[in-house]
Amino acid sequence: MTNSLLTKQSENLVFHTFDETLKPQIEELLSLGKSAGADIVEIFLEKSDNLSLLAEQDDISNVSPSFGIGAGIRVFLGTKDGFVSTNDLSKPGLLFALSQALGMLGLVIGSKNKSNFDGLNFLTDYGKDKNNWLETSPDLNESTIKLLESTSLLSKKNNNLQVRRASYSRNWQEVIVAASDGVFARDIRLHQTVGINVIAINKKNRSTSARRYGSSGNPNDLRNWNIDQSVTELNESAQRMLHAEYVEAGQMPVVLANKFGGVIFHEACGHLLETTQLERGTSPFHDKVNKQIAHKSVSAVDEGLSNYAFGSLSMDDEGMEPQDTLLIEDGILKTFISDRAGQLRTGHQRTGSGRRQNFSFAAASRMRNTYIKQGMFSPDHLIESIDNGLYCKSMGGGSVGPTGQFNFSVEEGYLIRNGKLDKPVKGATLIGEAKEILPRISMCANDLDLAAGFCGSVSGSVNVTVGQPHIKVDSITVGGR
Amino acid sequence: MNYINKKIDGLNPELLHQILDKYSKQSKIVKWDLGASSSRDISVQVQHGKAKQLKGSQRNSMTLRVWNNNKVGITSTSDLTIEGIKKAMQGAIEASFFGNEKDSPDFSSLAKAPLKEIKSNTSHEHGIDELLILLTDAEKKLIETHKSIDSVPYNGLNESYMERIYINSDGANRYMKLSQASIYLYAKAQEENRKPRSAGGIKINTNLEKLDIDSCINETSNKLISHLNYKSIETKKYLICFTPDAFLQLISAFSSMFNARSIIDGVSLMNEDSIGQQVAVKNLNINDEGLHPKNIGAFSFDGEGTPTQDIKLIKSGVLTNLIHSEATARQFGVKPTGHAGLGAKVSVSPDWLVVGKCKNNLDKDHNLTIKNTLKEYILIDELSALHSGVKASQGSFSLPFDGWIVNDGKRTSIDAATVAGDILKILNSIIKIEDEQIVTHQGISPHIWVEDVSITGEA
Repeated sequence: MTNSLLTKQSENLVFHTFDETLKPQIEELLSLGKSAGADIVEIFLEKSDNLSLLAEQDDISNVSPSFGIGAGIRVFLGTKDGFVSTNDLSKPGLLFALSQALGMLGLVIGSKNKSNFDGLNFLTDYGKDKNNWLETSPDLNESTIKLLESTSLLSKKNNNLQVRRASYSRNWQEVIVAASDGVFARDIRLHQTVGINVIAINKKNRSTSARRYGSSGNPNDLRNWNIDQSVTELNESAQRMLHAEYVEAGQMPVVLANKFGGVIFHEACGHLLETTQLERGTSPFHDKVNKQIAHKSVSAVDEGLSNYAFGSLSMDDEGMEPQDTLLIEDGILKTFISDRAGQLRTGHQRTGSGRRQNFSFAAASRMRNTYIKQGMFSPDHLIESIDNGLYCKSMGGGSVGPTGQFNFSVEEGYLIRNGKLDKPVKGATLIGEAKEILPRISMCANDLDLAAGFCGSVSGSVNVTVGQPHIKVDSITVGGR
Repeated sequence: MNYINKKIDGLNPELLHQILDKYSKQSKIVKWDLGASSSRDISVQVQHGKAKQLKGSQRNSMTLRVWNNNKVGITSTSDLTIEGIKKAMQGAIEASFFGNEKDSPDFSSLAKAPLKEIKSNTSHEHGIDELLILLTDAEKKLIETHKSIDSVPYNGLNESYMERIYINSDGANRYMKLSQASIYLYAKAQEENRKPRSAGGIKINTNLEKLDIDSCINETSNKLISHLNYKSIETKKYLICFTPDAFLQLISAFSSMFNARSIIDGVSLMNEDSIGQQVAVKNLNINDEGLHPKNIGAFSFDGEGTPTQDIKLIKSGVLTNLIHSEATARQFGVKPTGHAGLGAKVSVSPDWLVVGKCKNNLDKDHNLTIKNTLKEYILIDELSALHSGVKASQGSFSLPFDGWIVNDGKRTSIDAATVAGDILKILNSIIKIEDEQIVTHQGISPHIWVEDVSITGEA
């Protein structure tokens, strides 16, 4: 046994090809873990191949390829678990990681000889039709041409853009999940994002504007990017916000636009429906299943199935197929988002939501594509119902505190006066508490749309989709000046 | 020696140098550099007196840069096998075809300069059981400090060991290792018919023996208890006092002001002519002191091998220096300052901000003190959502915060509120910088008083 990855002697890399041939070696490790007394042993193997590019003005300023290997080994004993991650995919390296994870729970390999492991199932290969995804994604040459096309078009659209940036990232991941309950699955994931952002300047006025687009499982996504549409929308937003005044603070009704407006639901409610929050005792909804927690106009889902959506997956990071999970129906809480540990500790059935950024994190219950379902009103109908309020056309990021307080910034906002959109305003932050805001979502429009984003939480940063139709919140605190 | 499919035994600069020499020659690359790090750590989390999650990791990473016809290409990897290094070399060469000739990095002129020695405090490693006992005990003690504290939903005790190297084809050879231990406790309390309240604390030191767990417990408990009695406040302009933590959070969020990379890229509030300009009140000093003895986790060199240095950023309110990488320093005609990462386009970031007071200039209101002031003010303890509420290139911010409204010296917690403003206006509206500099986990600062700041409340 070695005491450290970095001090041990050279070893052959055994786990270099992720396929059925790994089965005997993984079974040996799982069997050792079970015989030491573990209830469940899970092994997550990962290879990654990533590329990120940055174009600034009319040059490619950064090309950063990266690749990696790693494994995460998790052992459950009752509701406790030990997790060890390593870059060492040699057999001794994984054996050492397993012995560490077992040791955390007071278990020692060979001490009990209590082997009740029946072996792994046949490999479920979700990646078999995805083996060419890496090769068929745009190469460096094609990617750089696309980015430069976008920054060039930005300059043609407007000459007061001091900064024009476009970025592209391609993250390819091949994983194997194997567990002592028989789960044995392989998948290949491909996520691509394009971001564009500008700083516009006119005398002393400055505005910044940004957009991001993302997809999952679509090698042609960058090729099919509608650059003209994205650049036009971004430029128009920057120009409108250039002369925006600071919003006046106060309580007011707001209309949140569709797509990324869904970040309010993600932050204010979605996180509180993850079993990780239930485990900590911090969700105000812990005892509200089948009870009214939102306005009856609100129904919401979390699913991992929408074609090409950023949060979609063929299997979660615990080898389970994702589900279409109805979270709220007509304002009534129906289901929590759960993973293996969540089911063990809270009793809520797994929903295919065990997710992690990479091998160095233990999976946790995380959102996938999460959105409020569309309603019956037109977006104009929502705005016309407000005398004095705020229209949040584009949202920035946000966060939620441990007891449900949330906040998020408004990137592009407009005052609503007498049922019509008025002048642009900047500097607005929406703050509130989930429990109090959900009953105030009184109207949902008929224009559901989704937007890609990244969500950071206990198991790292994962790809998600947020979404909603235009919605009206009857009253919310708007921070400003 | 046959390197194929052999594991490299640790972060061994000489061995890595040999391997890279071999493969660079095979690839006709004569100039390269490499930064690598390795870490191993263990951490525990507890819940209601029992282990919740126990974690361990062993991680490596390296970034290789090559110069190919004056264009730079890089590749990063966590695969430190021979095969991994060969693949990284190929990837870096491929990336170099897309390198930016107009803004190409070079070796730092200080990559072989003498380093200021940092005492490398690596303690002996502890077992997971030892950490578990300490954290379980801390959770229990914290809950027992007040009847309303019901849980510590977020907590962790961590011990880690890190090694870092920088080598290049010109013979630079940097190596350093250190250890760190940290604890965080985030507790929740609730009183009948009142909202749940929460507060946290964090402590870091070089090893577990020196980690002040008791003060983390006391700090978290005192803060949380002080938030139990809360109220909404009116929306208006207030006299504000930033705690050292909050002021450092705000300055760090706007550190692009001092960042030469951001200035060159046009995303800073400052520009190339800003050095020498008055940007704050005359009694404000801000330094970046990566080598400060209280900076746990300090490395003696940056990503390009440049020695870590102390830099005076703002002196008597005047922007005096910027932080640099090799490329930005070359463009500004100065020496690199030891604040670089490693990349094709090298990032620049501060190490350890130290805010202080220039003794030659007087405060506008010298009577204000956190201990004795009786008039109404808002004490801002911690800012939130800095990633979304700060427009660094515009200077504006709108941020939720935790804090208290203070009247006649009596603190009442604020239910929910945001603070908004413009950083330059804030820096020029400082009316008192207290004398006592307080060490936090993110830098050093005294309490800072600012007049007429916009606060949005819910009353």
